Amino acid sequence: MKAMSAFRLVCGTLVALASIHAWPQSGETSAESNGAAMTAPGTTTAKATRQANRALRRKVYAAIVKHKEIDAGNISAIAKDGAVTLDGTVADAAQTDKVTEIAKGVPGVMSVTNRLIVKKPFGGQ
Amino acid sequence: MKRKWIAAAALLAVGGAVHAQSSVTLYGALDTGLLYQSTSAASFSPKALNTGKVYAFKDGGVYSSIWGLKGTEDIGDGYKVNFKLQGSFNSGTGKLGLADAPGATAVFNQQTTVGVSGPFGTFDMGRQIAPMIYSMYDTDVRGAQYFGSILTAWLGLNQAAGWPGNSTNGPIGALWDDNALVYQSPKFYGASLALEYAPGGVAGQFQGGTRESAVLKYSNYGLNLAAEYYNGHDTNPSTTTVPTSLDNNRFYYLGAKYSFHDFSVSTSYSIGKNPANSSHVNYEMVSAGLGYRFTPAFRVTSGFYYLKDRNNSANHSDEFAVGAEYSLSKSTLAYAQVGYVNNKGTMNQTIVYGQPVAPGVKTTAAMLGMRHSF
Repeated sequence: MKAMSAFRLVCGTLVALASIHAWPQSGETSAESNGAAMTAPGTTTAKATRQANRALRRKVYAAIVKHKEIDAGNISAIAKDGAVTLDGTVADAAQTDKVTEIAKGVPGVMSVTNRLIVKKPFGGQ
Repeated sequence: MKRKWIAAAALLAVGGAVHAQSSVTLYGALDTGLLYQSTSAASFSPKALNTGKVYAFKDGGVYSSIWGLKGTEDIGDGYKVNFKLQGSFNSGTGKLGLADAPGATAVFNQQTTVGVSGPFGTFDMGRQIAPMIYSMYDTDVRGAQYFGSILTAWLGLNQAAGWPGNSTNGPIGALWDDNALVYQSPKFYGASLALEYAPGGVAGQFQGGTRESAVLKYSNYGLNLAAEYYNGHDTNPSTTTVPTSLDNNRFYYLGAKYSFHDFSVSTSYSIGKNPANSSHVNYEMVSAGLGYRFTPAFRVTSGFYYLKDRNNSANHSDEFAVGAEYSLSKSTLAYAQVGYVNNKGTMNQTIVYGQPVAPGVKTTAAMLGMRHSF
Protein backbone atom coordinates (compact mmCIF):
# COMPACT_ATOMS: atom_id res chain seq x y z
CA MET A 1 0.00 0.00 0.00
CA LYS A 2 2.79 2.31 1.02
CA ALA A 3 4.79 1.43 -2.09
CA MET A 4 1.67 1.92 -4.15
CA SER A 5 1.00 5.41 -2.84
CA ALA A 6 4.67 6.31 -3.27
CA PHE A 7 4.44 5.10 -6.84
CA ARG A 8 1.31 7.20 -7.38
CA LEU A 9 3.11 10.17 -5.89
CA VAL A 10 6.08 9.82 -8.21
CA CYS A 11 3.91 9.24 -11.27
CA GLY A 12 1.67 12.13 -10.37
CA THR A 13 4.64 14.44 -9.93
CA LEU A 14 6.01 13.37 -13.30
CA VAL A 15 2.66 13.94 -14.92
CA ALA A 16 2.42 17.34 -13.25
CA LEU A 17 5.90 18.29 -14.41
CA ALA A 18 5.24 17.04 -17.90
CA SER A 19 2.04 19.03 -18.07
CA ILE A 20 3.67 22.21 -16.77
CA HIS A 21 6.31 21.77 -19.42
CA ALA A 22 3.86 21.00 -22.15
CA TRP A 23 1.31 23.61 -21.27
CA PRO A 24 2.46 26.63 -23.30
CA GLN A 25 3.57 24.48 -26.19
CA SER A 26 0.63 22.62 -27.58
CA GLY A 27 2.59 20.89 -30.36
CA GLU A 28 4.61 18.66 -28.07
CA THR A 29 5.73 15.51 -29.85
CA SER A 30 7.39 13.17 -27.38
CA ALA A 31 5.28 10.43 -25.92
CA GLU A 32 7.96 9.07 -23.64
CA SER A 33 6.84 9.93 -20.10
CA ASN A 34 3.41 8.99 -18.74
CA GLY A 35 2.89 6.85 -21.82
CA ALA A 36 -0.38 8.76 -21.83
CA ALA A 37 -2.04 5.46 -22.73
CA MET A 38 -4.79 7.30 -24.49
CA THR A 39 -6.24 4.55 -26.56
CA ALA A 40 -6.59 6.18 -29.93
CA PRO A 41 -10.11 5.50 -31.14
CA GLY A 42 -10.30 4.58 -34.80
CA THR A 43 -7.88 6.43 -36.99
CA THR A 44 -6.90 9.31 -34.67
CA THR A 45 -3.33 9.19 -33.48
CA ALA A 46 -2.26 9.41 -29.84
CA LYS A 47 -0.85 12.86 -30.54
CA ALA A 48 -4.12 14.14 -31.96
CA THR A 49 -5.99 12.76 -28.96
CA ARG A 50 -3.65 14.52 -26.57
CA GLN A 51 -4.06 17.76 -28.48
CA ALA A 52 -7.83 17.41 -28.37
CA ASN A 53 -7.70 16.72 -24.62
CA ARG A 54 -5.58 19.78 -24.02
CA ALA A 55 -7.79 21.95 -26.19
CA LEU A 56 -10.86 20.82 -24.27
CA ARG A 57 -9.10 21.47 -20.96
CA ARG A 58 -8.33 25.03 -22.08
CA LYS A 59 -11.96 25.53 -23.10
CA VAL A 60 -13.16 24.36 -19.68
CA TYR A 61 -10.86 26.84 -17.93
CA ALA A 62 -11.88 29.62 -20.33
CA ALA A 63 -15.51 28.98 -19.32
CA ILE A 64 -14.78 28.83 -15.57
CA VAL A 65 -12.65 31.98 -15.50
CA LYS A 66 -15.55 34.03 -16.89
CA HIS A 67 -17.14 33.66 -13.47
CA LYS A 68 -15.20 36.25 -11.50
CA GLU A 69 -16.11 34.87 -8.09
CA ILE A 70 -14.47 31.50 -8.83
CA ASP A 71 -10.71 31.00 -8.50
CA ALA A 72 -9.84 28.83 -11.50
CA GLY A 73 -6.28 28.72 -10.16
CA ASN A 74 -7.41 26.42 -7.33
CA ILE A 75 -9.12 23.99 -9.68
CA SER A 76 -7.53 21.14 -11.58
CA ALA A 77 -9.53 20.33 -14.70
CA ILE A 78 -8.38 17.29 -16.67
CA ALA A 79 -10.01 16.27 -19.95
CA LYS A 80 -9.77 12.80 -21.41
CA ASP A 81 -11.83 11.92 -24.47
CA GLY A 82 -14.61 14.28 -23.45
CA ALA A 83 -14.65 13.21 -19.80
CA VAL A 84 -13.66 16.03 -17.47
CA THR A 85 -12.39 15.47 -13.93
CA LEU A 86 -12.41 18.40 -11.52
CA ASP A 87 -10.09 18.37 -8.50
CA GLY A 88 -8.97 21.08 -6.13
CA THR A 89 -10.85 23.61 -4.04
CA VAL A 90 -13.61 26.20 -4.25
CA ALA A 91 -14.71 28.93 -1.84
CA ASP A 92 -18.09 27.48 -0.84
CA ALA A 93 -20.44 24.55 -1.39
CA ALA A 94 -22.53 26.43 -3.96
CA GLN A 95 -19.47 26.86 -6.18
CA THR A 96 -18.94 23.10 -6.29
CA ASP A 97 -22.17 22.63 -8.24
CA LYS A 98 -21.65 25.81 -10.22
CA VAL A 99 -18.28 24.67 -11.59
CA THR A 100 -19.76 21.31 -12.60
CA GLU A 101 -22.57 23.10 -14.39
CA ILE A 102 -20.12 25.39 -16.20
CA ALA A 103 -17.94 22.46 -17.29
CA LYS A 104 -21.00 20.52 -18.54
CA GLY A 105 -21.94 23.51 -20.67
CA VAL A 106 -18.68 23.46 -22.60
CA PRO A 107 -19.14 21.98 -26.12
CA GLY A 108 -17.32 18.65 -26.36
CA VAL A 109 -17.67 17.76 -22.68
CA MET A 110 -19.52 14.45 -22.36
CA SER A 111 -19.27 13.91 -18.61
CA VAL A 112 -17.98 15.67 -15.52
CA THR A 113 -16.56 14.00 -12.42
CA ASN A 114 -16.63 16.46 -9.56
CA ARG A 115 -14.09 15.93 -6.78
CA LEU A 116 -13.94 19.56 -5.65
CA ILE A 117 -13.84 20.35 -1.96
CA VAL A 118 -14.51 23.56 -0.06
CA LYS A 119 -11.36 25.39 0.95
CA LYS A 120 -10.74 26.42 4.54
CA PRO A 121 -10.99 30.21 4.48
CA PHE A 122 -7.96 32.01 5.88
CA GLY A 123 -8.42 32.91 9.53
CA GLY A 124 -12.01 31.71 9.73
CA GLN A 125 -14.67 33.13 7.44
CA MET B 1 -61.92 50.20 9.57
CA LYS B 2 -59.66 53.11 8.80
CA ARG B 3 -57.49 52.18 11.75
CA LYS B 4 -57.10 48.68 10.31
CA TRP B 5 -55.78 50.12 7.06
CA ILE B 6 -53.30 52.30 8.88
CA ALA B 7 -52.11 49.30 10.89
CA ALA B 8 -51.70 47.26 7.70
CA ALA B 9 -49.76 50.09 6.05
CA ALA B 10 -47.52 50.38 9.09
CA LEU B 11 -46.93 46.63 9.05
CA LEU B 12 -46.03 46.78 5.37
CA ALA B 13 -43.62 49.63 5.99
CA VAL B 14 -41.96 47.71 8.80
CA GLY B 15 -41.83 44.64 6.61
CA GLY B 16 -40.13 46.64 3.88
CA ALA B 17 -37.51 47.99 6.27
CA VAL B 18 -36.77 44.51 7.58
CA HIS B 19 -36.41 43.25 4.05
CA ALA B 20 -33.75 45.85 3.14
CA GLN B 21 -31.64 44.77 6.09
CA SER B 22 -30.86 41.50 4.35
CA SER B 23 -28.72 39.36 6.60
CA VAL B 24 -26.56 39.25 9.70
CA THR B 25 -24.65 36.09 10.49
CA LEU B 26 -23.05 35.07 13.75
CA TYR B 27 -20.15 32.75 13.03
CA GLY B 28 -16.90 31.44 14.44
CA ALA B 29 -14.58 28.53 15.04
CA LEU B 30 -12.93 26.75 17.94
CA ASP B 31 -9.54 25.27 17.25
CA THR B 32 -8.10 23.29 20.09
CA GLY B 33 -5.33 20.76 20.48
CA LEU B 34 -2.50 19.26 22.46
CA LEU B 35 1.05 20.28 21.70
CA TYR B 36 4.40 18.72 22.41
CA GLN B 37 7.50 20.78 21.67
CA SER B 38 11.10 19.73 22.40
CA THR B 39 12.41 23.22 23.29
CA SER B 40 10.85 26.45 24.47
CA ALA B 41 11.69 30.02 25.40
CA ALA B 42 10.09 32.76 27.43
CA SER B 43 10.41 35.36 24.67
CA PHE B 44 11.44 35.97 21.06
CA SER B 45 14.78 37.47 22.17
CA PRO B 46 17.70 35.98 20.19
CA LYS B 47 19.40 35.46 23.57
CA ALA B 48 16.45 33.68 25.21
CA LEU B 49 17.35 30.55 27.17
CA ASN B 50 16.02 27.10 26.35
CA THR B 51 13.39 26.50 29.02
CA GLY B 52 12.97 22.85 28.02
CA LYS B 53 10.22 20.57 26.73
CA VAL B 54 6.62 21.67 26.70
CA TYR B 55 3.39 19.68 26.84
CA ALA B 56 0.58 22.14 26.44
CA PHE B 57 -3.05 22.74 25.65
CA LYS B 58 -2.75 24.81 22.48
CA ASP B 59 -5.21 27.09 20.76
CA GLY B 60 -5.01 27.36 16.98
CA GLY B 61 -3.37 24.49 15.11
CA VAL B 62 -5.06 25.43 11.85
CA TYR B 63 -6.12 29.02 12.54
CA SER B 64 -6.96 30.85 15.75
CA SER B 65 -10.28 30.40 17.50
CA ILE B 66 -12.54 33.23 16.42
CA TRP B 67 -16.04 34.56 16.54
CA GLY B 68 -17.66 37.29 14.56
CA LEU B 69 -20.66 38.96 13.02
CA LYS B 70 -21.07 39.80 9.40
CA GLY B 71 -23.79 41.22 7.27
CA THR B 72 -24.70 42.34 3.82
CA GLU B 73 -27.30 44.79 2.65
CA ASP B 74 -28.29 44.83 -1.00
CA ILE B 75 -28.67 48.47 -2.06
CA GLY B 76 -29.62 47.69 -5.66
CA ASP B 77 -27.98 47.90 -9.09
CA GLY B 78 -25.49 45.22 -8.11
CA TYR B 79 -24.16 47.16 -5.12
CA LYS B 80 -23.97 45.87 -1.57
CA VAL B 81 -22.95 47.30 1.76
CA ASN B 82 -20.97 44.81 3.83
CA PHE B 83 -19.74 44.78 7.40
CA LYS B 84 -17.65 42.35 9.39
CA LEU B 85 -16.58 42.21 13.03
CA GLN B 86 -14.21 39.41 13.95
CA GLY B 87 -12.13 38.70 17.02
CA SER B 88 -9.84 35.91 18.13
CA PHE B 89 -9.76 34.35 21.57
CA ASN B 90 -7.77 31.59 23.19
CA SER B 91 -9.92 28.46 23.44
CA GLY B 92 -7.89 27.31 26.43
CA THR B 93 -8.19 30.43 28.56
CA GLY B 94 -10.82 32.67 26.98
CA LYS B 95 -8.29 35.48 26.62
CA LEU B 96 -8.70 37.93 23.77
CA GLY B 97 -6.19 38.18 20.93
CA LEU B 98 -3.58 40.90 20.39
CA ALA B 99 -4.15 44.33 18.86
CA ASP B 100 -1.74 46.70 17.08
CA ALA B 101 -0.84 48.72 20.19
CA PRO B 102 1.95 46.97 22.15
CA GLY B 103 0.61 44.84 25.00
CA ALA B 104 -3.03 45.57 24.18
CA THR B 105 -5.85 43.19 23.24
CA ALA B 106 -9.10 44.00 21.46
CA VAL B 107 -12.54 42.37 21.28
CA PHE B 108 -12.59 42.54 17.48
CA ASN B 109 -8.84 42.30 16.94
CA GLN B 110 -9.01 40.71 13.49
CA GLN B 111 -11.55 42.67 11.54
CA THR B 112 -13.78 45.71 11.97
CA THR B 113 -14.77 46.74 8.48
CA VAL B 114 -17.59 48.42 6.67
CA GLY B 115 -17.53 48.83 2.92
CA VAL B 116 -19.20 48.58 -0.45
CA SER B 117 -18.98 45.93 -3.13
CA GLY B 118 -20.21 46.14 -6.69
CA PRO B 119 -19.19 45.78 -10.32
CA PHE B 120 -16.10 47.90 -9.54
CA GLY B 121 -14.84 45.37 -6.97
CA THR B 122 -14.88 45.73 -3.19
CA PHE B 123 -13.80 48.50 -0.87
CA ASP B 124 -13.48 47.94 2.88
CA MET B 125 -12.52 50.35 5.64
CA GLY B 126 -11.25 49.46 9.10
CA ARG B 127 -8.91 47.04 10.79
CA GLN B 128 -8.54 44.01 8.56
CA ILE B 129 -6.34 41.21 7.30
CA ALA B 130 -3.73 42.78 5.00
CA PRO B 131 -4.08 41.76 1.32
CA MET B 132 -0.53 40.35 1.35
CA ILE B 133 -1.59 37.58 3.71
CA TYR B 134 -4.36 36.35 1.40
CA SER B 135 -1.91 36.08 -1.47
CA MET B 136 0.49 34.05 0.70
CA TYR B 137 -2.45 31.83 1.67
CA ASP B 138 -3.22 31.36 -2.06
CA THR B 139 0.35 30.32 -2.90
CA ASP B 140 1.20 28.00 0.02
CA VAL B 141 0.06 24.37 -0.03
CA ARG B 142 -0.09 24.61 3.79
CA GLY B 143 -2.53 27.52 3.42
CA ALA B 144 -0.70 29.90 5.81
CA GLN B 145 -1.90 27.81 8.75
CA TYR B 146 -0.82 28.47 12.33
CA PHE B 147 1.30 25.32 12.43
CA GLY B 148 4.37 25.21 10.14
CA SER B 149 3.48 27.28 7.08
CA ILE B 150 4.36 30.40 5.14
CA LEU B 151 2.70 32.31 8.00
CA THR B 152 4.98 30.96 10.74
CA ALA B 153 7.99 31.40 8.42
CA TRP B 154 7.04 35.02 7.78
CA LEU B 155 6.59 35.48 11.54
CA GLY B 156 10.11 34.03 11.89
CA LEU B 157 11.33 36.90 9.71
CA ASN B 158 9.56 39.31 12.04
CA GLN B 159 11.15 37.73 15.12
CA ALA B 160 14.58 37.97 13.48
CA ALA B 161 13.85 41.64 12.73
CA GLY B 162 13.10 42.38 16.38
CA TRP B 163 9.38 41.73 16.85
CA PRO B 164 8.80 40.99 20.56
CA GLY B 165 5.45 39.31 19.88
CA ASN B 166 3.38 41.63 22.10
CA SER B 167 1.41 43.28 19.28
CA THR B 168 0.24 42.58 15.74
CA ASN B 169 2.31 45.55 14.52
CA GLY B 170 5.45 43.75 13.31
CA PRO B 171 8.59 45.04 11.57
CA ILE B 172 8.17 43.07 8.29
CA GLY B 173 4.85 43.25 6.41
CA ALA B 174 1.61 42.85 8.35
CA LEU B 175 -1.04 40.25 9.06
CA TRP B 176 -3.57 42.87 10.19
CA ASP B 177 -3.53 46.62 9.68
CA ASP B 178 -5.40 49.23 11.68
CA ASN B 179 -7.31 52.02 9.94
CA ALA B 180 -6.84 50.38 6.56
CA LEU B 181 -8.57 51.25 3.30
CA VAL B 182 -8.46 48.26 0.98
CA TYR B 183 -9.64 48.08 -2.61
CA GLN B 184 -9.95 44.70 -4.31
CA SER B 185 -10.57 44.70 -8.06
CA PRO B 186 -12.75 42.12 -9.78
CA LYS B 187 -10.91 39.42 -11.75
CA PHE B 188 -10.14 39.96 -15.45
CA TYR B 189 -9.43 36.57 -17.02
CA GLY B 190 -8.13 35.49 -13.61
CA ALA B 191 -6.00 38.58 -12.92
CA SER B 192 -6.79 40.95 -10.05
CA LEU B 193 -5.27 43.76 -8.05
CA ALA B 194 -5.56 44.74 -4.39
CA LEU B 195 -4.44 48.12 -3.08
CA GLU B 196 -4.16 49.18 0.54
CA TYR B 197 -3.56 52.51 2.20
CA ALA B 198 -3.74 53.14 5.91
CA PRO B 199 -3.45 56.70 7.10
CA GLY B 200 -1.37 56.87 10.25
CA GLY B 201 -3.27 59.71 11.92
CA VAL B 202 -0.09 61.03 13.53
CA ALA B 203 -0.49 64.77 14.25
CA GLY B 204 1.82 66.97 12.19
CA GLN B 205 3.20 64.11 10.10
CA PHE B 206 1.59 63.07 6.85
CA GLN B 207 3.63 59.84 6.62
CA GLY B 208 3.61 58.99 10.33
CA GLY B 209 2.40 55.44 10.89
CA THR B 210 1.11 55.00 7.33
CA ARG B 211 0.94 51.69 5.40
CA GLU B 212 0.85 51.13 1.66
CA SER B 213 0.63 47.83 -0.12
CA ALA B 214 -0.20 46.35 -3.50
CA VAL B 215 -0.90 42.75 -4.47
CA LEU B 216 -1.19 41.44 -8.02
CA LYS B 217 -2.76 38.00 -8.40
CA TYR B 218 -3.47 35.62 -11.22
CA SER B 219 -5.69 32.58 -10.83
CA ASN B 220 -6.48 30.31 -13.79
CA TYR B 221 -5.51 26.96 -15.38
CA GLY B 222 -4.96 25.47 -11.93
CA LEU B 223 -2.27 28.06 -11.29
CA ASN B 224 -2.18 30.81 -8.65
CA LEU B 225 0.48 33.49 -8.99
CA ALA B 226 0.97 36.35 -6.56
CA ALA B 227 3.29 39.33 -6.29
CA GLU B 228 3.19 41.66 -3.30
CA TYR B 229 4.73 44.87 -2.14
CA TYR B 230 4.29 46.22 1.37
CA ASN B 231 5.67 49.35 2.94
CA GLY B 232 5.10 50.72 6.43
CA HIS B 233 6.17 53.69 8.54
CA ASP B 234 6.83 53.61 12.29
CA THR B 235 6.06 49.89 12.61
CA ASN B 236 7.00 47.60 15.52
CA PRO B 237 6.72 50.33 18.17
CA SER B 238 7.47 49.85 21.85
CA THR B 239 5.08 51.34 24.40
CA THR B 240 7.18 54.54 24.45
CA THR B 241 7.94 54.95 20.72
CA VAL B 242 7.24 58.40 19.28
CA PRO B 243 6.34 58.18 15.56
CA THR B 244 8.81 60.05 13.34
CA SER B 245 7.53 59.04 9.86
CA LEU B 246 10.38 56.53 9.70
CA ASP B 247 10.05 54.26 6.64
CA ASN B 248 11.03 51.06 8.45
CA ASN B 249 9.09 48.12 7.03
CA ARG B 250 9.34 46.69 3.53
CA PHE B 251 8.35 43.29 2.20
CA TYR B 252 8.38 41.77 -1.29
CA TYR B 253 6.88 38.39 -2.10
CA LEU B 254 6.51 36.26 -5.23
CA GLY B 255 4.62 33.00 -4.97
CA ALA B 256 3.03 30.29 -7.09
CA LYS B 257 0.83 27.27 -6.50
CA TYR B 258 -0.24 24.67 -9.04
CA SER B 259 -3.00 22.10 -8.65
CA PHE B 260 -3.05 18.99 -10.80
CA HIS B 261 -5.26 15.96 -10.14
CA ASP B 262 -4.98 15.26 -6.41
CA PHE B 263 -1.69 17.10 -6.09
CA SER B 264 -0.77 20.64 -5.30
CA VAL B 265 2.71 22.16 -5.31
CA SER B 266 3.79 25.64 -4.25
CA THR B 267 6.86 27.79 -4.03
CA SER B 268 7.73 31.36 -3.08
CA TYR B 269 10.57 33.81 -2.64
CA SER B 270 10.56 36.96 -0.55
CA ILE B 271 12.67 39.69 0.94
CA GLY B 272 11.89 41.61 4.11
CA LYS B 273 13.91 44.54 5.34
CA ASN B 274 14.02 47.79 7.20
CA PRO B 275 14.79 50.41 4.51
CA ALA B 276 16.02 52.79 7.23
CA ASN B 277 18.43 50.20 8.64
CA SER B 278 18.99 47.53 5.97
CA SER B 279 22.55 46.81 7.06
CA HIS B 280 21.01 45.28 10.19
CA VAL B 281 17.57 44.13 9.09
CA ASN B 282 17.56 42.38 5.72
CA TYR B 283 16.17 38.85 5.38
CA GLU B 284 15.22 36.34 2.75
CA MET B 285 12.51 33.67 2.83
CA VAL B 286 12.08 30.72 0.47
CA SER B 287 9.27 28.17 0.59
CA ALA B 288 8.23 24.97 -1.14
CA GLY B 289 5.14 22.86 -0.59
CA LEU B 290 3.61 19.59 -1.71
CA GLY B 291 0.13 18.34 -0.94
CA TYR B 292 -1.84 15.23 -1.79
CA ARG B 293 -5.50 14.47 -1.29
CA PHE B 294 -6.16 10.78 -0.65
CA THR B 295 -9.93 11.19 -0.47
CA PRO B 296 -12.11 14.32 -0.40
CA ALA B 297 -12.12 14.01 3.40
CA PHE B 298 -8.46 13.13 3.98
CA ARG B 299 -5.56 15.34 2.93
CA VAL B 300 -1.86 15.60 3.66
CA THR B 301 0.12 18.79 3.14
CA SER B 302 3.80 19.46 3.65
CA GLY B 303 6.02 22.48 3.42
CA PHE B 304 9.65 23.53 3.63
CA TYR B 305 10.54 27.04 4.80
CA TYR B 306 13.98 28.61 4.71
CA LEU B 307 15.02 31.90 6.29
CA LYS B 308 18.34 33.65 5.83
CA ASP B 309 19.97 36.75 7.28
CA ARG B 310 21.44 38.61 4.29
CA ASN B 311 23.82 40.50 6.56
CA ASN B 312 25.15 37.51 8.49
CA SER B 313 25.26 34.07 6.88
CA ALA B 314 25.58 32.39 10.30
CA ASN B 315 21.89 33.16 10.93
CA HIS B 316 19.58 30.88 8.99
CA SER B 317 16.70 28.52 9.63
CA ASP B 318 15.18 25.47 7.90
CA GLU B 319 11.75 24.26 8.80
CA PHE B 320 9.84 21.24 7.59
CA ALA B 321 6.22 20.65 8.49
CA VAL B 322 3.73 17.97 7.54
CA GLY B 323 0.09 17.74 8.50
CA ALA B 324 -2.76 15.33 7.95
CA GLU B 325 -6.33 16.51 8.23
CA TYR B 326 -9.52 14.56 8.20
CA SER B 327 -12.96 16.11 7.80
CA LEU B 328 -15.32 14.48 10.28
CA SER B 329 -18.16 16.57 8.86
CA LYS B 330 -18.66 19.74 6.87
CA SER B 331 -17.82 21.83 9.90
CA THR B 332 -15.43 19.68 11.93
CA LEU B 333 -11.85 18.85 11.13
CA ALA B 334 -9.44 16.59 13.03
CA TYR B 335 -5.75 17.13 12.46
CA ALA B 336 -2.29 15.79 13.32
CA GLN B 337 0.80 17.82 12.50
CA VAL B 338 4.53 17.42 12.98
CA GLY B 339 7.20 20.06 12.47
CA TYR B 340 10.95 20.25 12.70
CA VAL B 341 13.02 23.41 12.69
CA ASN B 342 16.80 23.78 12.60
CA ASN B 343 17.56 27.31 13.80
CA LYS B 344 21.12 28.58 13.47
CA GLY B 345 22.70 31.65 15.01
CA THR B 346 20.13 34.12 16.28
CA MET B 347 17.21 32.57 14.35
CA ASN B 348 14.17 31.39 16.29
CA GLN B 349 11.59 30.49 13.62
CA THR B 350 8.66 28.91 15.47
CA ILE B 351 6.77 25.79 14.48
CA VAL B 352 3.39 26.91 15.77
CA TYR B 353 2.10 30.46 16.20
CA GLY B 354 2.41 31.76 19.74
CA GLN B 355 4.79 29.11 21.12
CA PRO B 356 8.42 30.41 21.08
CA VAL B 357 11.28 27.96 20.49
CA ALA B 358 14.81 28.28 21.87
CA PRO B 359 16.99 30.28 19.41
CA GLY B 360 19.89 28.68 17.54
CA VAL B 361 18.96 25.04 18.19
CA LYS B 362 16.89 22.23 16.65
CA THR B 363 13.30 21.84 17.76
CA THR B 364 10.60 19.27 17.02
CA ALA B 365 6.91 19.76 17.68
CA ALA B 366 3.79 17.67 17.24
CA MET B 367 0.17 18.67 17.62
CA LEU B 368 -3.12 16.80 17.62
CA GLY B 369 -6.32 18.75 17.54
CA MET B 370 -9.68 19.60 16.11
CA ARG B 371 -11.32 22.62 14.58
CA HIS B 372 -15.04 23.13 14.64
CA SER B 373 -16.70 25.95 12.73
CA PHE B 374 -20.16 27.34 13.37
